[in-house]
Amino acid sequence: MASPLANSLPNPPMQHTSTEAESRSARGDADANRTPVAGGAGTKRLIDHLSAGALPIGTLLIAAFFAIKTPVFLTLDNWISISVQVASLMTISIPFAVLLMAGKVDLSVGSLLGFSGVVAGLTFPSLGPLGAPALALGVGLLVGMFNGFLVSWLSMSPIIVTLGSLTLLRGMAQWFAPAPLFEFPESFVYMGFGRLLGLPILTWITLGVLILGVLAVRYLPIGRHAIAIGVNERAAYLVGIRVKLTGLILYGAVGLASALAGLMSIARINSAPSGSLGVGVELGVLTAVLLGGIPFTGGKGSLLRVALGVWLLGMLSNGLILMNVPTEAGLMMTGVVLVLAAALNVLRTR
Amino acid sequence: MTSSSADFVEIRQLRKSFGGADVLKGVDLVFRLGEIHAFIGANGAGKSTLLGCLSGAVEPSSGTIAIDGEVFDTLSPRLALEKGIGIIYQHFQVVEGLTVADNIFLGSELRRMGIVDTRQQNERAAALLARLGAVLAPDMPLERLSVGERQIVEIARALRIGPKVLILDEPTAALSDREMSALHDVVRTLAHAENIAIVYVTHLIDEIKAIADCVTVLRDGAVVWTRPAARIDSRQIAEAIAPNSKGLGQATALRSDARSLLQLHNYASPYTGPIDLDIRAGEIVGVYGLMGSGRTDLLESLVGARPRRSGEMLLEGRLLSISDPGAAMRAGIAFVASDRNEQSLFGSLPAIENLLMPHLGGFARKRAVHAALFERAAHDLSLHPANPALEARRFSGGNAQKLVMGRWLLPGLKVRLLVLDEPTQGVDIGARAEIYKLLHDFAQAGGAVVIASSDPTEIRALANRILVLGQGRPVELIEREISEDELVHLAHNSFAAKRGTSHGKPFGELSTESSHAAHVD
Repeated sequence: MASPLANSLPNPPMQHTSTEAESRSARGDADANRTPVAGGAGTKRLIDHLSAGALPIGTLLIAAFFAIKTPVFLTLDNWISISVQVASLMTISIPFAVLLMAGKVDLSVGSLLGFSGVVAGLTFPSLGPLGAPALALGVGLLVGMFNGFLVSWLSMSPIIVTLGSLTLLRGMAQWFAPAPLFEFPESFVYMGFGRLLGLPILTWITLGVLILGVLAVRYLPIGRHAIAIGVNERAAYLVGIRVKLTGLILYGAVGLASALAGLMSIARINSAPSGSLGVGVELGVLTAVLLGGIPFTGGKGSLLRVALGVWLLGMLSNGLILMNVPTEAGLMMTGVVLVLAAALNVLRTR
Repeated sequence: MTSSSADFVEIRQLRKSFGGADVLKGVDLVFRLGEIHAFIGANGAGKSTLLGCLSGAVEPSSGTIAIDGEVFDTLSPRLALEKGIGIIYQHFQVVEGLTVADNIFLGSELRRMGIVDTRQQNERAAALLARLGAVLAPDMPLERLSVGERQIVEIARALRIGPKVLILDEPTAALSDREMSALHDVVRTLAHAENIAIVYVTHLIDEIKAIADCVTVLRDGAVVWTRPAARIDSRQIAEAIAPNSKGLGQATALRSDARSLLQLHNYASPYTGPIDLDIRAGEIVGVYGLMGSGRTDLLESLVGARPRRSGEMLLEGRLLSISDPGAAMRAGIAFVASDRNEQSLFGSLPAIENLLMPHLGGFARKRAVHAALFERAAHDLSLHPANPALEARRFSGGNAQKLVMGRWLLPGLKVRLLVLDEPTQGVDIGARAEIYKLLHDFAQAGGAVVIASSDPTEIRALANRILVLGQGRPVELIEREISEDELVHLAHNSFAAKRGTSHGKPFGELSTESSHAAHVD
């Protein structure tokens, strides 16, 4: 058969056969012009390496700085106490990171942490040292899934939805428990200070969450699916990924982790102050996750880097306290690091 | 008619390479004031890159562009504008929420004491539009305009800077017949009466005959020839565009023992139908229609990406209810959407993950298995380069499409019906032939294909039967030999007949009518 063009010659295809699809073909055309090559220009690769190395190098530099400034910093005891200080942050950051890989965000984690703590604190007398935490975890899971439902099924903006939850949950916590709750069952509080094989129980829990997260992302489809959704949600949907269900699961996991972090927090301080428990945690989590190299738009990321980001934040606040820097300065530092983390990501995506 | 022969733009030995591959290989070209210079070439011939160099969006690797005697190695978008080069992109750049005048002056608003001077903008806009022979109210919101009218707003915006050269990239791609001829009038006026050099990119040989003063054919990044339009015929142009484009294949005869695979009874998608169709194993069914005919609507509904409005669907006699594309996939129905980059490709993920995305449902991370799968698929698909780690967005259009289609052709998924919407959009002719072969092979092996296309050549090369759609209704199911002309006319006549009076008129007529209707002064 003749060429398609020659074939149409007697009366060539009319202009009106052009379609919406054809009018979109400019991009395809440009693509066809693009050549399949592996690397970019030399400078781009240099920037890539620098920004990829920025987190580990930065962590090392900060550790070195504090080690020089305060001799206590580089002791095993201090590092163990850092691990306890970052326990809540790490627990939430891991599932949060997977959620952000899918391009979604949950700002209600801090309030949910506080609310679950209050739920447990209020119900210890009636439900006991196992029932109350179980209820708190259930509440966390449900609230997370509710966020996920609004975002995935009703296509509402994650930021707006979870900002709403942030405020609502804080209000509810303070409504239910106007005064701080304290004096929890011994066996529960043991989780906050007890040790197992030389390490605090909180550290073990944190490690467990990290390992579980890494394994899930590596071996379960959900890790791939989250990234696929973050890169191109429409394509993920058309390729058969259950986009809505994935969103629900991820939000549920973040909710569950927030509740777990709430339990860890109240066990550690043996009290559940509804007005302050978990306040600002969402910013710490966001900073850690961005430091870990997950872009705010999602689509890629590594949980081990996120863990390193969490650790960096933990070292920073620990070191500043050891150096007797006022807490206000520490707060300012957190803000600076958040913006720096975002800047780092911009550099990497360029 | 002041057809000046002044060479206004002179391109010399322009080269551009992206990462080692030459996209432009030393282009020499001259654009003269008062002349309509048509540009034609296959996808990937380098048209976009050449236009990009002219408009300052792309930096040439070497060569020069002289504008009115001033020689440049490279242009920036701003510099190009200053030197009088206006460009109208194929994708409309208009903003729906703004008025006609706001759109025309977007980015360089007329101001009085810092405040946008709406009155002056409206007056100037009206004058610009009048120059184009369009009667459009400057303060009409853009969303009330037809596609053709929007195109006129685009042109008015380009004229605002008083360009000497006006580049139009496939300006008629989305226009109806009558809108197109009205646009041609505008372009002629601009060239012959206002002495502007027009660079006119098109896919359509017919259009060149209608409008151009001279024609340049671009192929593989080089100019094949530039000739006066009056002295060439269509066959010469076609030969120049694609001299070796034979062998795209021809629809094969359907085996007589073909059994029914998918039956549609009174089936309707949200905007299309009802349709009765029996798709048989081994068959390729073409769905042909113009923009707005309901092709995409029907296809997306079949795979669960849109709801079903009525009727039923039977797969091998079993009643099927598909809630989403995942369910379709599990039933053996796979979908390749139009607009690969938006809807199919995971641009920043490596090729292997793009190819194996539907297979990543298992628990274990079977690296070796996946690598072997990829290697085999890359071979079967003639994927180039066959590099599993390369990001999908770095592949050419044709190879990216192979990745997207290849997902469903892998063993293990048991896809029986492949539903494709414009699968060769932005795909060069070589890869196109390879994709056609994949589809023929798939059908030969007992699968069925439903393919929607706006290209009658493609439909004829592939389909055993052709369902022609018009305005959301089935026009005809063609089971015989049909010429391209007949196919085009069938689709278009159904379209024109049903379009009624509200569309498809020349701009002036339409705008007076709709501005009266829509506008409150």
